[in-house]
Amino acid sequence: MALFKPEFGLVFWMLVVFLIILAILAKYAWPVIIRSIEQRAEFIDQGVKYTREAKQRLEEVEVQVQQLLADARKKQLESLQETERMRQELIENARKQASVEAEKLMQDAHLSIEQAKREAELQIRKQVGHLSLEIAEKLLRQDLSQDVAQVELIGKMLDELESKN
Amino acid sequence: MRFVGYVIGCISLCCFVGQLRAQEPAVPFNPQELIFEHLGDEYGWSIWNRSIPLPVIVRSDTGKWYLFSSARLDGGKTFNGFYIAPDGDYAGKVVGRDGDGKEYRPWDLSMTKNVLALFICAFVLCWLLFPLVCWYKRKPYDAPRRMKGMIEVTVGMLYQEMIVPMLGKEAKRFAPYLLTLFFFILVMNLMGLLVIFPGGANLAGNISITLVLAVCTFVVVNVSGRKAYWKDIFWPEVPTWLKFPVPMMPVIELFGVFTKPIALMIRLFANMLGGHLITLVLISLIFIFAAMGQVVAGATTVISVVFAVFMEIIDILICFIQAYVFMMLSTIFIVLARPEKVKE
Repeated sequence: MALFKPEFGLVFWMLVVFLIILAILAKYAWPVIIRSIEQRAEFIDQGVKYTREAKQRLEEVEVQVQQLLADARKKQLESLQETERMRQELIENARKQASVEAEKLMQDAHLSIEQAKREAELQIRKQVGHLSLEIAEKLLRQDLSQDVAQVELIGKMLDELESKN
Repeated sequence: MRFVGYVIGCISLCCFVGQLRAQEPAVPFNPQELIFEHLGDEYGWSIWNRSIPLPVIVRSDTGKWYLFSSARLDGGKTFNGFYIAPDGDYAGKVVGRDGDGKEYRPWDLSMTKNVLALFICAFVLCWLLFPLVCWYKRKPYDAPRRMKGMIEVTVGMLYQEMIVPMLGKEAKRFAPYLLTLFFFILVMNLMGLLVIFPGGANLAGNISITLVLAVCTFVVVNVSGRKAYWKDIFWPEVPTWLKFPVPMMPVIELFGVFTKPIALMIRLFANMLGGHLITLVLISLIFIFAAMGQVVAGATTVISVVFAVFMEIIDILICFIQAYVFMMLSTIFIVLARPEKVKE
């Protein structure tokens, strides 16, 4: 049967055609196709990997941001409290200082009043002594102002009066 | 309702055809001749009742080369002493007569129908693959669409799912051969399924073609075979009395070296031939039964056509499977010939 006998001519041409097409494809087609498929697969793999990493990083960053925000809020609160405390302290201090000052002023005033009083008393005493002597002079028609004993007596009497008061 | 209408129309048409056939003058219908004429090779490519003339290249017994059109031999004509043998050992082939008037077969490198079909297949293969290559050069990171996408998927499947897992690091070295093998066989098979001109040649169902493919695989396997592979053949690890003094195992192993490609050759040849044969037989049935009257012929036509279409659809699957199997077995033979050094 002709079909089962290899035909020389056909074998020859088949060999030629197959080797030529093998050479052409092996040189120009398959390396390009295989390389491209592999490159694209790698590209896609890397894209996926990159996306995954980016997502992870985003999550991390989000956590960090939350942390930062919480920290900031805490710090803000703390600083507010600090300010409040400082304010209170300042006011307290001012108040204390003011009261100390006031007390001092009061004391000074007291002192000056006492002084004035004492001076006034002395003045009055002198005046009263003088007046008394003048009155007594008038009564006695005699000059008593030169008499030391009289002056002493008056002083004594005034002392008594004062101590009575 | 429409479908029923189609069916009735088809049946009546078939009956009509059957009637026509039945009324023709009784030419004895020889299915065997017809089938083998369709499966075999021819010098011109006949389409309908015409024939595309193809070049005939022969070398006569005097060592002279002749190149002429096959149209000069049509209808049993003789040209330069060459004619197509009507019967005998060389039936259907170009023969000449030597000095003694004896019939002899010259060296025949004619571009027959199958050779032209081979060229067409090679061309189709380039036409399928090079647009993809161009695409990659233009847009390296874009996925191709349609036909290009289909080719890419197939290459990806074969390369990444089969060649790389089997051959590992050496995949790049053998991939071009294996992929060419697969696509060439696939294109040949599919072109064989087309009924008219660019296809229709029974290529992979021709033993010359599968012989060349098997020889290529044989050469690739044995040239790339490592030392361990040859050692396994000539000095396998079996009890010594099996290989010395009578080299029983080496002979069996050596036999195996040749049976592997022969099995490849026969497998592809028989499968593709079988597919064509079944379809042709089913169609021939119509003409065999045509002699039995219109009704039988009509019914046979319907049944035959339905079965033939079914077989063609299965044949498409077989085309792919056979190409795949041929390539897969070639890969396996290469892998077996290049054993990795096994760690103890």
